[in-house]
Amino acid sequence: MESWIQFGRGPLFAVAFSLMLLGVARILVLTMVGVIEAYGRSWDRIVNWKEVRRQTVRWLVPVGRLWRSRPVYSTLSLLFHVGLLLVPLFAAAHVLLWRRSVGFGWKAMPQSSADVLTIITLVAGAGLLLGRAASAAARSISRPQEYFWLLLLLVPFATGFACSHAALSPKSYQRLMLLHVYAADLILALIPFTKIAHCVLTPLSQIVTAVAWKFPPGAGDQIAATLGYADCPGWVPKARLTKAAHAVAPPVAKTATDRLEVKLAKQEVTAQEVTAQ
Amino acid sequence: MQPISAEQREKAFAGSKKAEIVERQRLPVRYHVEDFYLEDRPRRFLQAFAAILKHTNYRVALDHYIRISAKCARCSVACQVYGATGDARDVPCYRSELLLSVYRRHFTVSGVLRGRLLGDPGLTDEKVQEMAASFYDCTACRRCHFECPLGVDHALITHLGRYILSEIGIAPRALVVSTREQLIGKSGNTSGIPVPALLDSLEFLSESMKEERGIDILFPIDQEGAEYLFLPAVSDFMMEADTLMGNAAVFRATGDTWTIGTGYYDGINYGLFYSDHVLERVLQKVRAEAGRLKIRKIVIGECGHASRVAKYFYPAFCGGRSALPVMNIMEYTHQAWKEGRLKLKPDAITETVTYHDPCNIARPGWIVQQPRELLKAFCTNFVEMTPNGRNNICCGGGSGTVSIDEIRPYRTAVGGRAKAEQILATGAKYCVAPCANCKKQLRELMEDNHIDCQIVGLHDLLYKALIFD
Repeated sequence: MESWIQFGRGPLFAVAFSLMLLGVARILVLTMVGVIEAYGRSWDRIVNWKEVRRQTVRWLVPVGRLWRSRPVYSTLSLLFHVGLLLVPLFAAAHVLLWRRSVGFGWKAMPQSSADVLTIITLVAGAGLLLGRAASAAARSISRPQEYFWLLLLLVPFATGFACSHAALSPKSYQRLMLLHVYAADLILALIPFTKIAHCVLTPLSQIVTAVAWKFPPGAGDQIAATLGYADCPGWVPKARLTKAAHAVAPPVAKTATDRLEVKLAKQEVTAQEVTAQ
Repeated sequence: MQPISAEQREKAFAGSKKAEIVERQRLPVRYHVEDFYLEDRPRRFLQAFAAILKHTNYRVALDHYIRISAKCARCSVACQVYGATGDARDVPCYRSELLLSVYRRHFTVSGVLRGRLLGDPGLTDEKVQEMAASFYDCTACRRCHFECPLGVDHALITHLGRYILSEIGIAPRALVVSTREQLIGKSGNTSGIPVPALLDSLEFLSESMKEERGIDILFPIDQEGAEYLFLPAVSDFMMEADTLMGNAAVFRATGDTWTIGTGYYDGINYGLFYSDHVLERVLQKVRAEAGRLKIRKIVIGECGHASRVAKYFYPAFCGGRSALPVMNIMEYTHQAWKEGRLKLKPDAITETVTYHDPCNIARPGWIVQQPRELLKAFCTNFVEMTPNGRNNICCGGGSGTVSIDEIRPYRTAVGGRAKAEQILATGAKYCVAPCANCKKQLRELMEDNHIDCQIVGLHDLLYKALIFD
């Protein structure tokens, strides 16, 4: 079993960690490219940067905002996040592992702080689970992954705490350590592909929303042409009642891009085809 | 706030629509919709969605939102609709998920793959129907945006959802008929007011001001080269005479040149509520009129959505940074007062006055303090509602729903419930609501909830306080 643990700590961790780094870099780049594209496409370049900055910073450090809605849940959530970020990075055993494998490390936190933070994280996590299950509003919007993630995130904390404290037989120590390592690897690998991606994407939220409200000029006409009718929606309801969308005469093409639109408009355009463009 | 009782709920949700129309259109929504092409509705919805994604900037937001949404339900506390119904389907995040799940299933690789593997049929007609109902229950007031730790803007999703639905023919008839008149109708405005009627009504207003104040306060018509083009919500010309008189009086007092153009005199833009295509077309009309009269600035009357559209979307469609500057009339009045060009009688209004922030101008933090400073300058007894300012509660008729008369019971029992309680708590005699839509909604709200409070515009009161040299 020891070799399995070694594998989980060594090569598997390296794979999971690289997957996380690459995946996170990918979504960050995609989002930023999307923002730049959207910004470039719009004529309106007026962004209230001050407001974007203010909202971004305030949500990254949300201390003053917790009490406005779901105060208990929000406070628990903040505590949970603090533990979630600090313990894996600064637990003494983790720093030691880094030092051994890559040759450098950083200052670890004292064991007592790690213990307190771990307990806080576990308690807060349990509270979040209860808060979700007990609130009708939260329950209605929760998918299975909402519960699954919370439980999965708590596994390394519970097992890590047990391993460093409980007087365990070597066998059960190894079992728990195995669980600890593999759960952590799984979490790392899944980060970029699930809602945990918010750990890197949140700082971009405000700017994404700001550019999404920048409507590009001429889009309405292009959309109508793509869909095969020449005017605003709802103008000639009778015509659209009797004819299928593609049967309505397309507008006359003027430029190269227009011609593409008209070509599209003449045929049945399926959703996949349009997105493939 | 306690959710409404089952009895109230039944009354609020009772539709005046005939069952056979719902049956024929296969659309169980409370608002009326013109007949539309029914076959293959989910497929056409996806086509429209795809076309919109291709040509607009929504994709970046949807991609972002499906990745980060953590479903914490904090938004539920901010929503006045959820507060009133207590129905899980009114949680903002639930509403957004309706559209986000379609996006995830049909427009992301993982969604398409998962759909194929699990044999998920994808978008169904029932889901289209649910969206059609749900997106018009939301007033797009954007209050929930402030409570989302991850920055999801649910109003953007509502906006997009309505746009897609309109592309397949599903949009409230009240809005469609108005914009059709505005864009291709004879009168060219949403209320169908012809130019002679407009001129008559303005002349009448000038005469009554002459009688009341003893001075000539004119409405300059088609004055080329004037500094300001004035665009109120067109309904103001017929329904809000007091507000208009106040507006004209302010211009008279400052002495700036301004004009109302007979080519186009409507500030209303329902495009914001259901279609970006309409939004752009209407703004092109504004641009054409401003160009014809060689105007330097655009001033929008007391109207929330008209102001937001002009301020935040006029540059998008009409020239970016070089677009004409846009102001709201309250901003203009406030500036003139600050510069000492307006004199106000400090004790003109002694009754209790409160102020309702229209979401469209208050939420971005644009017009919050200006009207308050003005009111405090001539009202001796000004009280605030709580919460107020940027964090105000919607009147319940936002995003065009106030124009849909058939849903009035819903608006006054559910959408406006929180607002009614707020106004009642202030005990004010006057509630200043500088927005044509808010005014109509709040008046109906006061009437249906038997609250004795008069809903007025800011300039209605200001007119009484204005001192002419």
